[in-house]
Amino acid sequence: MSQENGAHGEAGATNGNESRNESRTTGAASTDAGLNARAKAPRGPKGHKSRGWLWSLIAVIVVAALVVGVNAFFTNKQGGDANGDGGASAAKTADTVAIGLKLAPVNLDIRHQSGSALEQILIGNVYESLVSRGSDNKVHPGLAKSWDVSKDGLTYTFHLNDHMNFSNGDTLDAEDVAWSINELKARKYYNYDQVANLDKAEAVDAHTVRITLSAPDSNMLWYLTGRPGLVYDKDATWDEKTGALGSGPYTVESFDPSDKIVFKANPKYWGAAHKAKTENVVIRFLPDDNAGINALKSGDVQVLSPITATLAVPFRDNPDYVVKAGDGSDKFVLAFNMTDAKLKDKRVRQAIRYAIDHRQIIASRGGVDAKLGGPIPKVDPGYEDLSGVYPHDAAKAKKLMKEAGYSEDHPLELTLTYANVYGSELGDQLKSQLKPIGVDLKIDYVEFSTWLQDVHTNGDYELSLVDHAESHDFYKWATPSYYYHYDNRQVRDLYAKALAATSDEEASDYLAKAARIVSEDAPADWLFSWRVTIAYAKGVHGFPQNLSQTVLPLWRITYEK
Amino acid sequence: MRFVIRRLLLFAAALFGISVLVFAALRILPGDVAVVMAGTNATAARVAELRAEFGLDRPYPVQYLDWAAGLLHGDLGMSALTGRAVAAQVGRRAAITFPLIVMSLVVALAVGLPLGCAAVITRNPRLRGFFHVLAIAGGAVPALWSGLLLLLLFGRGVGLLGVLPSQGFPADGWTGAPGRAFASLVLPAFATGFVAAAGIMRYTRAALEDIAAEGGPVDMAMACGMTRTQALLRVGLRLATPQLVSVVGLTFASMITGVMVIENLFALPGLGALLVGDVGNRDLVAVQSELFLLAAFFLTLGLIIDLTHRALDPRLAAGEGE
Repeated sequence: MSQENGAHGEAGATNGNESRNESRTTGAASTDAGLNARAKAPRGPKGHKSRGWLWSLIAVIVVAALVVGVNAFFTNKQGGDANGDGGASAAKTADTVAIGLKLAPVNLDIRHQSGSALEQILIGNVYESLVSRGSDNKVHPGLAKSWDVSKDGLTYTFHLNDHMNFSNGDTLDAEDVAWSINELKARKYYNYDQVANLDKAEAVDAHTVRITLSAPDSNMLWYLTGRPGLVYDKDATWDEKTGALGSGPYTVESFDPSDKIVFKANPKYWGAAHKAKTENVVIRFLPDDNAGINALKSGDVQVLSPITATLAVPFRDNPDYVVKAGDGSDKFVLAFNMTDAKLKDKRVRQAIRYAIDHRQIIASRGGVDAKLGGPIPKVDPGYEDLSGVYPHDAAKAKKLMKEAGYSEDHPLELTLTYANVYGSELGDQLKSQLKPIGVDLKIDYVEFSTWLQDVHTNGDYELSLVDHAESHDFYKWATPSYYYHYDNRQVRDLYAKALAATSDEEASDYLAKAARIVSEDAPADWLFSWRVTIAYAKGVHGFPQNLSQTVLPLWRITYEK
Repeated sequence: MRFVIRRLLLFAAALFGISVLVFAALRILPGDVAVVMAGTNATAARVAELRAEFGLDRPYPVQYLDWAAGLLHGDLGMSALTGRAVAAQVGRRAAITFPLIVMSLVVALAVGLPLGCAAVITRNPRLRGFFHVLAIAGGAVPALWSGLLLLLLFGRGVGLLGVLPSQGFPADGWTGAPGRAFASLVLPAFATGFVAAAGIMRYTRAALEDIAAEGGPVDMAMACGMTRTQALLRVGLRLATPQLVSVVGLTFASMITGVMVIENLFALPGLGALLVGDVGNRDLVAVQSELFLLAAFFLTLGLIIDLTHRALDPRLAAGEGE
């Protein structure tokens, strides 16, 4: 048998086909066909097989060599190009900038869908509003180049820019503006209630729009910089959930809520001032913090906003990156349910406020956030530093709790309901800070949609923690039906006066007074004002430092490689 | 034949049961899509309006029948939030998740099978001990951790040898950039593949050892002149195949959920991300249909495994006939 195999092996080396045929015939001729075949099957084609291996090995080596060669060639070429450019001119401006954001909008239907991610991404970039909002949170000209307000504050006359059009080429004039605002009211689009005092909008002529109010509203102009002021093409239809059609400097090329949105510069953009400086902008949605860091490090994105402050430290030390923290309107509100029997006792609420060590909480988050102390953030009218109203004072907290009848041995049981998007350490910190004063804090760590249903919609909670990102949202403290269930006549009166005020200073004064009363009443503790940390590669210009969570003008962003 | 029919009837009954279960289980979740869409500025009236718009104010049986009737027509419904057909969404995500699972399985088999065989073939007690420890340790490693290690070793921009993309999937997908699409799945496939390999190694070893201990065929083959290695690999492995097919099938099924973690780590927009996102947004029609599809897939896989078993091992059919 071994001889036979040897012979076949030799034959295989010279003539593979013939040898296999031969082996089959000998196999069939043998007495024990099965055994013979089993013994030979692997042997017969083996010569063939080993050559196959040889060929695949050669193929792999050739391919590998090609890949390495081509790679090396292109790397060299690029290097050469870069060197050449370096000699001739300064750095080259990229035609694409990739930005990593944390929150993705689920759809692009800005007329129905909630979420600040939508406003951040679309307003000012794809859609434009009658008046625009700057990174200073102030009102700037938008589609309207100027406006007049009547003395009684009831009539606003807007003068529109000339020769405006939507990205599909349709003309944008006063008709579109009036139609958009009246539709908002009639169809109750998202945030229509912000402009409840707006009675109607009408086109006086092609370049003039008049808005009439039923009552003066000092917030009106500011709200018109947001969703209520957006102007849509009344003659066009588009799939509002997957696309967007506006008059802004960018158009939506593609959108996938799980991945990214791709913007392309609008070739028909009407204005010269906000014309896109970079042809393509890609916004990648990176919900995972570490995924975001990796994407920035590997160059998949040039900007990461926000970046967790504690994770940003290596980038601060790296000269290739710029790290900045900016002011925003995000308020982390630890709300006390004012209708809850245990929390009706003002001493308990005050004690909790005294017991919380805000400095420690901020330090553990990377030390960039700001103390808040009251319902109005720094970027809003009516802000004053209220962090001194309830300074950290454990002794005072314990004394108040004792008066209310609780101590560490006989603690008050409270449940904190908050959404799992905020990280569990916040709850743990509060639990340990409140324990010594006699509060046994149970943490109910839920999904955001559960929080929305249980706390926000049903008002069924004891303590709640959430990031209220909206700006100009003091009205929540003047609306007893809101989930805070805070009802103070004085505050409501002051807020009404602030709305009716015809000058900004007057409005701010009333708001500041109201905010101080709210803070003193302790219906909540404001843990901190989130200062958004952003990191970007050196060479990126034009990314706003402040308010980038709500106002993100992409037209000015450039990247020099 | 009777077995096949009975198996198919069972399959249909299970699908019905699952549709009811999935529907009921999701109604227990607090919150709905109207609440999510309305957000933190919403008034109760606005939420009620949206609810009516989405038909969420109708009684549950009506909602169920509405959905189930669609399923019978092969219509998985539309996502209330994204406004896209659920089938299309699932299809797009599956184009990432399934290649990833197949690649992981290839890795798992390529590593697990030879190691499992080697663990039986070797007679060196130290080596056997080593294989034993390898199988246990490998199975105990979470895919998340192995994924992180792989990232630190090979991830572009973060790793020691930055050769492979560490994040995301090319936007053009398989048609636009097949090479890059493949490359972006390599690290995740190894991360889950290695962990699954440990399981396959353990099962291979156990199955082969059982068959060798039983004697019979393996001893017979050795008596006919095969070496122990040959007998184990050619006869023993063939006999162990039905068991291994079951294990591979189960590994495949468990990977559908297993790769979700890895998809998250590598920011791959796969099925896992879709499901988690849709549950978070309370897009219940979408979640229902997605879960139903997954369950149907598990069941189909079970069916295929059962039928393959009988094809591979004629003794099963013979035993039933008696």
